[in-house]
Amino acid sequence: MIAGLGLVLGVLLGLILQPSVPIWLQPYLPIAVVAALDAVFGALRAFLDGIFDDKVFVVSFVSNVLIAGMIVYLGDQLGGGGQLSTGVIVVLGIRIFSNVAAIRRHLFHA
Amino acid sequence: MDSRHGAPGRLALVVLAAFGILVATAALQTARSADVTQTSHDELVKQVLARKAQLADRRELVDDLTSEVRTLETDLLDATVDGRAVEARLIEAGVTTGAEAARGPGVRIEVDDGPEQDPRAEVLDVDLQKMVNGLWLADAEGISINGQRVTTLTAVRLAGGSITVNFERISPPYTVLAIGDPDTLPSRFIETPGGQWWLDLQALYGVKFEIDSSEENLTLPAADRLELRHAHIPDDPEGLP
Repeated sequence: MIAGLGLVLGVLLGLILQPSVPIWLQPYLPIAVVAALDAVFGALRAFLDGIFDDKVFVVSFVSNVLIAGMIVYLGDQLGGGGQLSTGVIVVLGIRIFSNVAAIRRHLFHA
Repeated sequence: MDSRHGAPGRLALVVLAAFGILVATAALQTARSADVTQTSHDELVKQVLARKAQLADRRELVDDLTSEVRTLETDLLDATVDGRAVEARLIEAGVTTGAEAARGPGVRIEVDDGPEQDPRAEVLDVDLQKMVNGLWLADAEGISINGQRVTTLTAVRLAGGSITVNFERISPPYTVLAIGDPDTLPSRFIETPGGQWWLDLQALYGVKFEIDSSEENLTLPAADRLELRHAHIPDDPEGLP
């Protein structure tokens, strides 16, 4: 699938180019990955449901990453420590699991 | 709208590639941080070891300098008649206080806890204190417990389940060495309250208590540290005996 190739290409580019992340951005990297993962799984589910839309995918990807980063940043400023980021990860985890369950039903009819 | 329902378009591909880059970067970042954390950990360990080695060297230096000072002191005192008299008094005082190592005939007392089932048969700090007091009363001239010299400032205490002498932990069986007249010391010790206490302990609880007065040549080490906190030399030297 072309989409899979796009993903692989991205990973290879990341490994080869090895962009160095500025220090202030580093704490947000893990949460950005989880948020992006949620968008990707959502897109995969939509694709299997036959309702995939480019624009929706792009918007959901970007907004997920931005909002997750913003919530974590807010948590840092309010002094909540890791609690807000824990909340974000929990919610994203729930969404990822429900999307994966739907994908599983499509693929294995189980 | 440039999108087709049901299939990813070019934009989706770009975003997927961006996702791939994001994942790869995050993974690389974590790998790099792990290296840094490990390096700082190793660095700290190295520093701790270096400081420990330095401390050990300094302690050795202190020991060397102390013995050098003593040698110089002795040489200085040996140089004059008055000096030698002072030296003699110093040594005598050192033996009784425990600052100097001492050698001579005396008694060896071996004590140990009684049968394990009886909690009263355990040798306590007060028992050893009474023994030491009794030995002093019987004119012992130097006492050591398990190799620890008993000085005028020595504390024999129970701390955390074991007895400490000079703040050093010792464990049973306890060997008490006392320098004195081997003919009279044992009998005089038995007559003191401390000696009577130990006879009772032995009779009632089966505590091991053996006196061996055949020791010809006991050597007692000097005490490790003698800190004078309150006593000081008076300004008027004529007042000293």
